[in-house]
Amino acid sequence: MPDKPIEGEKRVFMTGNEVVAWAALAAGADIMYGYPITPQNEIMHYWTRLAPRYGREFLQTEDELSAGFTTCGGVLAGRKAFTATAGPGNTLMQEPMSMAEAMRLPTVVVIQQRGGPSTATVIYSQQEVTMTTLGGNGEGLRIVYSTANHQELFDYTIKAFNTAWKYRFPTFVLGDGYQAKMRESLTIYDPAIRGIELVQAEPFLGKPGVPGVDRPPTQLRNTYNVEEELYEVLEGYFKDYEKIAPEVAEHEAFGLEDAELVVVSHGVVSRACKAAVKELREEGVRVGYFRPITLRPLPVKALRETAEKVGKFLVVESAQGQLARLLKEAAFGCPVEMLELFKPGVGITAEDVVSRVKEITG
Amino acid sequence: MRCISGRIVEAYIGEYASGKSEVAVNRALLLAARGRRVNLVDLDIVEPCYTLRPLKKKLAEMGINVVAWETREMMGLGETGSIFYPANRWALRFPGDVILDIGYGVEGARTLNLVEGAATDPDLKIFAVVNVGRPMTGSVQEIVEYVRSLGRVDGLINNSHLGDETTVEFVQDGARMVDEAARQLGVPVVATTVLEELARVIGTRDAAGHPVWPIKRFMPHALW
Repeated sequence: MPDKPIEGEKRVFMTGNEVVAWAALAAGADIMYGYPITPQNEIMHYWTRLAPRYGREFLQTEDELSAGFTTCGGVLAGRKAFTATAGPGNTLMQEPMSMAEAMRLPTVVVIQQRGGPSTATVIYSQQEVTMTTLGGNGEGLRIVYSTANHQELFDYTIKAFNTAWKYRFPTFVLGDGYQAKMRESLTIYDPAIRGIELVQAEPFLGKPGVPGVDRPPTQLRNTYNVEEELYEVLEGYFKDYEKIAPEVAEHEAFGLEDAELVVVSHGVVSRACKAAVKELREEGVRVGYFRPITLRPLPVKALRETAEKVGKFLVVESAQGQLARLLKEAAFGCPVEMLELFKPGVGITAEDVVSRVKEITG
Repeated sequence: MRCISGRIVEAYIGEYASGKSEVAVNRALLLAARGRRVNLVDLDIVEPCYTLRPLKKKLAEMGINVVAWETREMMGLGETGSIFYPANRWALRFPGDVILDIGYGVEGARTLNLVEGAATDPDLKIFAVVNVGRPMTGSVQEIVEYVRSLGRVDGLINNSHLGDETTVEFVQDGARMVDEAARQLGVPVVATTVLEELARVIGTRDAAGHPVWPIKRFMPHALW
């Protein structure tokens, strides 16, 4: 029986991609299907260096279409399977991820956003929000965690496996090129010592017993002959998704009690926004901070309450309104003014946010 | 500390994010501050000039010859591959000292195969930079196994740290582990590199008796 990858807990200094590999190990992932693309290659590099020590597997596929489909296949075989990609690779993943959405497969995919559209830059952006939350030809029945630092990359990669296998929706960890390559310290741990129980995987196919006699037949479908059949299936899925949304949605916020303006951001940009809001509040500026941690499902209740109360959002993102678009839908009907600080593909500093807030508040 | 008179040629290799660039930049600055002619060569063939890019101008102003691409001059990054900076091939022909930063790390000492004269240069020393805070080199056994995979290594450098959370204790634990690994590998420990503030506390020798090289942090200003 191979040793546990992490015994107890340990303070370490790592790059983001490495953190993902270690977290996947800690979460009990059985296999990674991988295809290289910058800036996530090191997830694969570290997984392949570590996996043999702990009896885990790896398969390099011929492209991302295959990486996505093999991940679906791994999951169907009852393995905790995952893959990672970015940019154009994420675009290719939409076909297999649509199948995962259709068949309610607990796939886990880590996305390290880079510039878009197309090949753009290998570096950074927050421009894959639309694609990761609402991609493919489905109805966005996905769960997306947007991390902001290495500790979260570790915590939420482990959580992603549990969430996926518990609720059976394709689950994503949305990072970016800066998080992938930055070096930070964090605590890596064996989930058991933190009271985190790992949800067990189970096979979809090859179950024991005679179908129709010992158990219902396994019918996995991503295609239907009749529109009404599709409608019925989807209605069931929507109900399931709505039911779990309040359990799954996460956010963090502060400074809302007296705020006249709320800075809303996600992922790595929220670090700059947090620092900016803290600095501004110290100067007496009445500004608050709101950060959705899940982009799907969004923390709709908290968002609407904030929108009703404060009435003015400054949406800050390294994209041209991809987060803003999601927020507008969630807050529809609330009397909230949506201001923007959009810098597609470019990093945003605390100074940028402070300037913009001062421009608005005068 | 070795007597600094003859030509100094040092190549820094090691695990990804072990601190090769930070040590290389500091080393180049130390030598330049002593009035020496210094060439700092960016030999990262996967992420070229990512660490040196924002520092290039500043270092050039201090009289260091930075041998690296300007990002704008390059074509294709990351997985699309890159063109070896032409001057890199002849890096050992530059007059003065040569500090080679073998970025990314994956090829170890083999990247030097691309540099003319590396196999026969009489002054070349290849140092492996080790940070025990990096889990792949977090134990003596792992350090030994890892360094053995690098190819030719003439010495180890203990660069153990946890970024902003580094403590003297952590650095000293690293010093002891690297010392034991060096013993098993049959190579010397060249130095322990540590932030100036902590170097003042540790003194001129680390817990294993090896020289302490105080360093300043430049990498947070780099791309990553």
